[in-house]
Amino acid sequence: MSKHSKKAKAFLKDAGYSEWHDATFWAVREKRDNMSHGLPEWEQLREKASQIKLHTLSHLDQYLEQFASQAEKNGTIVHWAADAAEFNQIVFEILSSHGVKKIVKSKSMLTEECGMNPYLESKGIEVVETDLGERIIQLLGQAPSHIVMPAVHLTPDQVGELFEREGISDEIGNHDPTYLTYRARLSLRNEFLTAGAGMTGANFGIAATGDIVVCTNEGNADMSTSCPKLHIAALGLEKVIPDYDSLAVFQRLLCRSATGQPTTSYTSHFRKARPGAEPMHIILVDNGRSQWIGNQQHWKTLKCIRCGSCMNTCPVYRRSGGYSYSYFIPGPVGVNLGMLRDPRAHSGNVSACTLCKSCQCVCPVKIDLGEQIYQWRQQLPEWGTEPASKRMLCKGMSTVFNHPLLYKTATGVLPKKPFHSLKLDKDE
Amino acid sequence: MSRKEEILGRIRAVIRERYDKPSLDDLQATVFPDPLAAFIAASQTAGSKVVELATGADINETVRGLFPEAGVIASNLPEISIATLNPDTVGSAQELNGTDVGIIRGSFGVAENGCIWIPQAMKEKAVCFISENLVILLSKTEIVNNMHEAYRRVDLGDYGYGTFISGPSKTADIAQTLVMGAQAARSVTVVLV
Ligand code: SF4
Repeated sequence: MSKHSKKAKAFLKDAGYSEWHDATFWAVREKRDNMSHGLPEWEQLREKASQIKLHTLSHLDQYLEQFASQAEKNGTIVHWAADAAEFNQIVFEILSSHGVKKIVKSKSMLTEECGMNPYLESKGIEVVETDLGERIIQLLGQAPSHIVMPAVHLTPDQVGELFEREGISDEIGNHDPTYLTYRARLSLRNEFLTAGAGMTGANFGIAATGDIVVCTNEGNADMSTSCPKLHIAALGLEKVIPDYDSLAVFQRLLCRSATGQPTTSYTSHFRKARPGAEPMHIILVDNGRSQWIGNQQHWKTLKCIRCGSCMNTCPVYRRSGGYSYSYFIPGPVGVNLGMLRDPRAHSGNVSACTLCKSCQCVCPVKIDLGEQIYQWRQQLPEWGTEPASKRMLCKGMSTVFNHPLLYKTATGVLPKKPFHSLKLDKDE
Repeated sequence: MSRKEEILGRIRAVIRERYDKPSLDDLQATVFPDPLAAFIAASQTAGSKVVELATGADINETVRGLFPEAGVIASNLPEISIATLNPDTVGSAQELNGTDVGIIRGSFGVAENGCIWIPQAMKEKAVCFISENLVILLSKTEIVNNMHEAYRRVDLGDYGYGTFISGPSKTADIAQTLVMGAQAARSVTVVLV
């Protein structure tokens, strides 16, 4: 049994909870379908999005150069980080050179990937997540269970009790989501006003203009950057796209795929710091990406725009939850990204797939996620991480096939009518 | 060699096949027989209230009528005389906290999703987010069909910041229950002029 199967088994013990989990994500999938069916050009958009990504990734050297030089022309300071450690160090140096003790931050899977929060905290910097879901799991000391809805695995009672413990809500026993959201708003408002810096990820970097584009429903990226005087933006290399025409295609697909809304409430473009603020910093992070682009079989996984819809539709994700996977990004794309990151550590996830390929039917950039997982499975022997039972079986079979005498003996002991006799065969 | 050169060099070394940029000319994007009606409907779905300024009506009286209780009103628009705070002259963004109504201008609206393009046109853009209630003035003749048309018009202006806003700040992070008013404006009223 793979690590994933063991955790999935534990997840499924609570039948009521796992049914709720399944239904919750399926409902998001249905909302996404309503959106896609409402746009006659949907499939054309997906095809264009896929082609733009293939083009950009295969010219990434050129687009990154263009992006960086535009950003620098805008007065932004651009940093390049080879890996997670270097990224964390750059962030810390920027913060400490400005004497910052507390940052407010909007959701970023990249900072999660780099382990930035614990690093900064170990250096004495307080990090406050400002996306409501992220804030909740931060206070619980948990990791996100989904890339778009990080706290969706929790019930209102769990959140309510947390807020009571943290002194965020004062009406004990009131676990109404509207009330809890309001209390979180008050508490976070205070953080926005007193933080020394705001940090954001980015959904897109625009090569033609040097803009960073951040999409949120809560407006927390904008709050994080309009109160503090310092803005640091972190981008994985693959986030850069050519221009506004390309952005229009992705903007139309992203939120429809992610949450089933026609757009997020805010689609914000950051080109330079506001008057009186410090220059904006952009950190471009490699951390494996420049190698993955060279992986002939798997480089297309980098097309991902992190909408999360492959998770919502995945029958395995829906019935096993985000924490059953060993990589911090779960679901079909997480299985693939985990294998690119470290196949030895994450090959337990490749069994978390029925090969139904529902994921690749919904993926807005048409990544062949299911095919990719199938290919990874074929590659497992390269790292010696194929399941032990299968290895024994294959080993046994090759021994038998390579020794004629053994083969005869082995087949001799099999029943005359081996497998088809187990079926209800009409002519028997 | 700098980090930048090192990273770019690694990418150059591994790219095998270069794919062409697709043309978007054949993209058949949705257009609306009545873009304004579609924009109003999409704005309402996103949670905005849409009002039309009656002919001859005064914008200040209209906003007052919408928010009779408002104490702090922030705006730098020349036609707004009821403002008690000006985002151009406040000492810091933090001073805008506690704003009951912020009044700003949008450049154009997008019919397909209710987005309104707001280029920063004030010193402290915080007014667009920190206000409890946001009022956006928009000319009803400035409506485009979809985001493709929108991005041909996007201009960030001198401040180098702009945002599409569609409806109030919202979240469904607690048990998928939709709640208006997460971290930014709790209500958005679009006044068509
Ligand atoms: S792989 Fe596709 S569906 Fe999955 S998160 Fe990425 S873009 Fe979305």
